[in-house]
Amino acid sequence: MAYKPQYYPGSTSVAENRRNHMSNNVKKVRDISDEDLTACLGHRAPGSDYPSTHPPLAEMGEPDCPVREIVTPTPGTAAGDRVRYVQWADSMYNSPSVPYWRSYHAAINYRGVDPGTLSGRQVVEARERDMEAIAKEQMETDMTCPGLSGLRGCTVHGHSCRLQEDGVMFDMLDRRRLEGDSIVQDKDQVGVPIDRKVNLGKPMSPAEAAKKTTFYRVGNVAFRDDAEVVGWTQKVWELRTIYGYQPK
Amino acid sequence: MANFQNEATAKKAFVSAMETKYAKEWGSNKQNDDIQSQTAKYLRLGTEQNPRKMEMAKIGAEITKKRGLQAYDPMLHLAGIPLGQRQLTPYTLGGTDIVCDGDDLHYVNNAAMQQEWDDIRRTCVVGLDLAHETLEKRLGKEVTPETINYYLEVLNHAMPGAAIVQEHMVETHPAMVDDCYVKVFTGDDSLKDELDPQFVIDIDKMFRPDHAAQIKASIGKASFQAVHIPTVVSRTADGGQTSRWMAMQVGMSFISAYHMCAGEAAVADLAFTAKHAGLVEMSEMLPARRARGPNEPGGLSFGHMADIVQTSRKFRDDPCKIALETCAAAMMLYDQIWLGGYMSGGVGFTMYATAAYTNNVVDDNLYADTEYGWDKYGTGIGKTVAPTIDIIKDIATWGTLYGLELYENYPTALEDHFGGSQRATVVSTASAAACAITTGNSNAGLSAWYLSMYLHKEGHGRLGFFGYDLQDQCGATNVFSYQSDEGLLGELRGANYPNYAMNVGHQGGYTTVVTGGYTGRGDAFSTNPLVKACFADDLMNFDFVEVRECFGKGALREYDRCAGERAFVIPAK
Repeated sequence: MAYKPQYYPGSTSVAENRRNHMSNNVKKVRDISDEDLTACLGHRAPGSDYPSTHPPLAEMGEPDCPVREIVTPTPGTAAGDRVRYVQWADSMYNSPSVPYWRSYHAAINYRGVDPGTLSGRQVVEARERDMEAIAKEQMETDMTCPGLSGLRGCTVHGHSCRLQEDGVMFDMLDRRRLEGDSIVQDKDQVGVPIDRKVNLGKPMSPAEAAKKTTFYRVGNVAFRDDAEVVGWTQKVWELRTIYGYQPK
Repeated sequence: MANFQNEATAKKAFVSAMETKYAKEWGSNKQNDDIQSQTAKYLRLGTEQNPRKMEMAKIGAEITKKRGLQAYDPMLHLAGIPLGQRQLTPYTLGGTDIVCDGDDLHYVNNAAMQQEWDDIRRTCVVGLDLAHETLEKRLGKEVTPETINYYLEVLNHAMPGAAIVQEHMVETHPAMVDDCYVKVFTGDDSLKDELDPQFVIDIDKMFRPDHAAQIKASIGKASFQAVHIPTVVSRTADGGQTSRWMAMQVGMSFISAYHMCAGEAAVADLAFTAKHAGLVEMSEMLPARRARGPNEPGGLSFGHMADIVQTSRKFRDDPCKIALETCAAAMMLYDQIWLGGYMSGGVGFTMYATAAYTNNVVDDNLYADTEYGWDKYGTGIGKTVAPTIDIIKDIATWGTLYGLELYENYPTALEDHFGGSQRATVVSTASAAACAITTGNSNAGLSAWYLSMYLHKEGHGRLGFFGYDLQDQCGATNVFSYQSDEGLLGELRGANYPNYAMNVGHQGGYTTVVTGGYTGRGDAFSTNPLVKACFADDLMNFDFVEVRECFGKGALREYDRCAGERAFVIPAK
């Protein structure tokens, strides 16, 4: 992508981390194999072909179109993949990413994506192989802590529950748990058991999470302490309010 | 500041509620938690930890056995995936000491909640003056206090469904309709004094002097009937039946009381008056695509809802309590019954609005935010400050940061409100209502609501569900808009207002904000003095003064003012 810099106000570590997410300035910290990724997502059997909803574009005989000539299809689109999703829940307790920033990350850095943010979950829909590329990046980089973030197609509410005694985000369906010093996942996004234990890597230490998080909270970086972000938000509200007030 | 809690007191109530919720035994769910700890031991007890769930499972099994057809089975959740349910904890109803199960705050399980809605839907206000003019000018009848008293006596026989013009025919059983009656109210003291007190809503007795004077001045010399048709009728039919039923009995009673000819043309005038010209319904009609009659919740404006709730009659000096009781009434009606029942068909989902009036969390926020506004701007009841962008910005920001940090400091509060939309509603309702109370201006409050949502989204990087992310980010532009369809005053907006039509958790909050406007000014009513006077009546089944107390009695199965039951005409169990 030609467009690189992304700007966000604020002088705190949270603001800096937010800028990093928007700019895709994230670090690869672990490896997740393609087979493990596919198993965790649960859309198709690991190793199987991608199901498609239409033939490859090259075989479609599409009419001439200048826009088609300008825009290179994403790999999933070119192949005719079906649209599938990856959905995350990120804890309120210093998780490295928060739902809006997962959306901004996807919307800014990828094409052909449909990101959605809800209260505690964030979903990206895309052609299956494109989605997998995004999911892999999310799982392998420091925008995700396996202890404080989880793939969750359903029962996402644990994000606002207190952490479990072992510091792992509560999961009603027990898809992931701490085994030894690593988080292991043996169910897919919606809780269906899978035939393997996927090692998601070590959870961040509390100190590391506090340093990496994009979540403002007291006890770490309080929202009120980032006066520039608060002021910028107020300005957005004020301008929108005044915009609507046009007594012509 | 009589009855007004300071921040420390409010926080204590909230902390106490959290300790009750999380640190005390409830069913088999034994916890001993530090409510400020960020970690907890989850016992993963599933439904077995909760007494009400177990009762429901037992009954479900009995139904299955009795009818040979599958019924309620909590183990079927999520296609058979075994649950590791989080703690199922009870709720403390804010402003009360009542602790109950969440299930018992569902309107299906709560008789008081049902009666609140029944009492609204079965009510209408009908003017008397046009009818009296018809009687006097067209028919030359003499209307006196004596004839009015006689008419009201006849009407209170006829309104529940007794025949009045013809010989005895088919009638309703009085025990089935004992909640049905008609009273009158007027701003004319001399007329009031001439009427039989049993038929009168005496505004002077029901309201404090300054409020009574305000209401009477607004009503003027006119006189109105407060009509409550039988609950069983409005349940069996619909909201539109309220005025139809009323108009028929009013017309018949005029014919009987004034010895009219049942077929004469003037009867049409009386009918037109009762059905249209002199009629005030609680709710407006909805568009045909939503296909509801009048007196259904989708057409109930926030202003009317604020006036239906009567807390201001007895707690004028505590605008936060007035707002909180209104919040409870409106959250239940708009979210559970309207959005949950009429619009989406939801079950547990719309229940979440209950959280906005439980566990004293919103109470804590609202009292703290209001105290901030009052201290900062030297305001109080009847002494407001003119709203400006800066004042709205100040109160909304302070309140939002306070509210968010409450959740950050008390993780059990966050866990209690496990969905972001609950959190967003609590924080925005409190900061916006406080802004409305401080300025006496509901529009300023709504504006604060939107800033609160922006700040919340930015601070936590998340807000509510999609509905919040849509309307709460586009609402700021129409708060002060001149375009009537976008900038309508909060008092006149309602569940059917564009963008408000489908968003659970909002409408009770907007009603709370609207309530803040008039309570901050110290006014007697928000929007319609007729509605406020109509519901100022202790004979109503539902207690519109102490809404949450009423809901609590319903939750504890102690509510004893139900109407519309069929025990008299069926083999009672």
